[in-house]
Amino acid sequence: MLEVEHLTKRFGGLTAVADVSFAIAQGEIVAVFGPNGSGKTTLLSMIAGVLAPTAGMIRYRGTSLVGLPPNRVVALGIAKTFQNPQLFEELTVVEHLRIAGHLMLKRRLGWRRLLTLFGGATDGERTVDARADRVVALCRLDRARDTIAADLSYGQEKMLGVAMALMCEPELLLLDEPASGLGHGEVTELERVLRDLRDQGTTLCIIDHQVKFLGRLADRAISLQHGAKIADGPPQDVLSRPEVIAAYLGASHAADTAA
Amino acid sequence: MTRPRLLTVAAIAVAVMLPLVVKSDLTLTILVFSFLLAMLAVSFNLIFGFTGQLSMFHAAAYGIGAYATHIGMRDLGLAFWPAVGFAMALVTVLSAIIGTICFRFRLKAFYFAVVTLAFAEMARLVAANWHGVTNGTLGLTLTAKPSIGWPGHAIAIDNTLAWYYLSLTALAMTIVVCSRCVHSWMGRCFVAIRLNDALGDALGIDIFRYKLLSFCIANAIAAIAGALYAHFLGYVDPSFLSVDQSLAIVAMVLLGGKGRVAAPVVGAIFLTLLPHLIHFNAEVRAIIYGSILILVILLLPKGIVGTAAEWSRRRHA
Amino acid sequence: MSQVIVGQLLNGVIVGTLYGIIALGVTLTFAITGIVNFALGAFMMLGAYGTWYLAAEHGLPYPLAVLVATLGTAVLGLVADRALFRYTRNDLINGLLVSIGLIAVLDNVVLMIFTATPQALDPPLTGSIGFLGVFLPKMKVVVCLLLILTVAGTWLALQRTWMGRAAFSYAQSAEGAKLMGVRTELLQSGVFVYSTALAGLGGGFYASLYSIDPTIGNLYVLKAVEAAILAGIGSIPGALAGGIILGAMESIGALYFPLSFRDAYGLVLLVLILLLRPSGLFAAQR
Repeated sequence: MLEVEHLTKRFGGLTAVADVSFAIAQGEIVAVFGPNGSGKTTLLSMIAGVLAPTAGMIRYRGTSLVGLPPNRVVALGIAKTFQNPQLFEELTVVEHLRIAGHLMLKRRLGWRRLLTLFGGATDGERTVDARADRVVALCRLDRARDTIAADLSYGQEKMLGVAMALMCEPELLLLDEPASGLGHGEVTELERVLRDLRDQGTTLCIIDHQVKFLGRLADRAISLQHGAKIADGPPQDVLSRPEVIAAYLGASHAADTAA
Repeated sequence: MTRPRLLTVAAIAVAVMLPLVVKSDLTLTILVFSFLLAMLAVSFNLIFGFTGQLSMFHAAAYGIGAYATHIGMRDLGLAFWPAVGFAMALVTVLSAIIGTICFRFRLKAFYFAVVTLAFAEMARLVAANWHGVTNGTLGLTLTAKPSIGWPGHAIAIDNTLAWYYLSLTALAMTIVVCSRCVHSWMGRCFVAIRLNDALGDALGIDIFRYKLLSFCIANAIAAIAGALYAHFLGYVDPSFLSVDQSLAIVAMVLLGGKGRVAAPVVGAIFLTLLPHLIHFNAEVRAIIYGSILILVILLLPKGIVGTAAEWSRRRHA
Repeated sequence: MSQVIVGQLLNGVIVGTLYGIIALGVTLTFAITGIVNFALGAFMMLGAYGTWYLAAEHGLPYPLAVLVATLGTAVLGLVADRALFRYTRNDLINGLLVSIGLIAVLDNVVLMIFTATPQALDPPLTGSIGFLGVFLPKMKVVVCLLLILTVAGTWLALQRTWMGRAAFSYAQSAEGAKLMGVRTELLQSGVFVYSTALAGLGGGFYASLYSIDPTIGNLYVLKAVEAAILAGIGSIPGALAGGIILGAMESIGALYFPLSFRDAYGLVLLVLILLLRPSGLFAAQR
């Protein structure tokens, strides 16, 4: 579904992502992990079109994504959530979802969107509202429906980020540290939401440090260190490799476990 | 019907009835000016209040609209309304070019204001110096008057009362058009751009396209307002395009309340009536005007309408 | 012909230093208080009228008149800061609009008191100096040098003194400076008042070269903002250089193109710079 080949990003002298290649197949949950500064967020940003790669190729269903702005990438079916929740401060949850329904409306109505300005083609708005209701239920945001973004809890803010991404009807959802900063209960809830999504056929690519959370959820794990891929395979295998443990906990700890 | 919409409809109904009571030609004249300036302010609110871009080109669009309508009649032999259409088309094309330059290069906030200001100043310099076409700083006397209807059954707009209803209709139509835009997917895109454009981009909104769209719609409406204003006044000069005019529009929107479709009308009427209510000389008027601008920004950041709405909500709560 | 060009060029440089002194105020205010103070033009006009009033109407010696007028402008700047601008810190749009309201008030107060009739000062210095084959009025040369010295002095002061380091660290990181014990509010007010004093000084010098009327500042502040942006906002030598480039360009352009479009060259250049080198001519490119 998604192929990344020899992807590299340099900021001046610093190489944030170095020659990374991997592929994601339809229906998978892929976890990308690594310590802070290992290039995870940069990698995701390049796929989503926020950053332009220095070198390498990104292909989605045969189409190159390199050079496309974020709004074109998401229109192709790849949505991304933000690490720090990005919201429209003064709007309510439902209003967020209506804005995020932009692509749905565009896909459903095309040029007929012009009719809505004269009171026609109301079916489009109804479809958006119906999906917003489903997404609100799926993301457990029912009670916060009409709350203004500034008044949401941190967990709800992150969930709203996922909800907005879902309004874009993604086939591939990129999640940038969805569990960071969440309480234990909230992580469990998030896990449930993500499993529901997978059951509905959405492919997920998640980056996070929370090894336990990722280990339970993912079908496959990719580990990054200093921008390079050091492991790729089933999560339990990847997590038990000494070089991965070393990257996470320092070389001495790896030696201890080996001994 | 929502409360703001109810109030707007009621206000328009009152305005329709007003000439039954008010017979003074001067009062009606002042109201015509305020309605046309209100039209300008309502359209400016689209780009400033909703999309969040401080355009300094609005007065230029208004002035170019006035000049182009006259030129369309004089040099292209058009009738009044087709000439207004020509002016709108011209302003839309110019806005598309300027908007493309600004938004492609992602000029934001202050830089967008400065570059649009620079283009507006260039347009003013052209109007002030292209003597053969614009008669330079002396300006042009405009004698053409519009008419409504169809050939054979046209009503000439040649007295103040007729102008009153024409300008009221134009203002009402502007409010309807802006309201339809704002309360649709288009308006949601505008708001998304103002509140968080990176997020809007990630949600599939083509930021460039919708910024350009709101810039072009706002300027096209300003062109109509300029055409009507200049032909009611009977003349046009380069001061239509001046920075002062742009700032007067900003002041109207801020005073009324930005981000509400019809609120700038209040600001426009207030600022147009004010100099006539108190008979001071030009300097004192400018001082009062400047002080109001400062006080509104520091004390009434939501404008008259926004503050009143909040106040009434608190009383009912 | 070449003498005409040299003459125009030098005249442009002299006008450019006047743009530069206000551009310095614009750039400092922007770096420290986060707003663009368009009212600096009005403060310049106040400095010019103060100087003229003291020297021509009350017979004060010119240098003393400039000094008193500059201080007077600074006091008004302090009042404006305390009453208005301290509420618009780091709010570009509100700062812009408040400064525009203030321009309307100040311009028209002066207009009411002194009318629109242009006023002129007897030149405090007469005679001219020959330079590169052209003759320049002594007064213009002196003003130009004094303005360059003022900019240089400001730059040195910011490099060498505690206040300067505080300002520098603040411009880098407002939070960091606060943690290091920089008294933010004092620094912001200080810079705001200093920039109004610079504008007043520029106005005082302006009055010795040209006739004045209540609207002189408005065009100058636009030019100063152009100059500050040309150079890359935040750069002190850049503000002066930007002013000089703008002044020189206008003077040379006026030789070849219609005089009436003189004010447009700077605008065209400004748009090009903003599009092609958004951080300014002299800023390091990121």
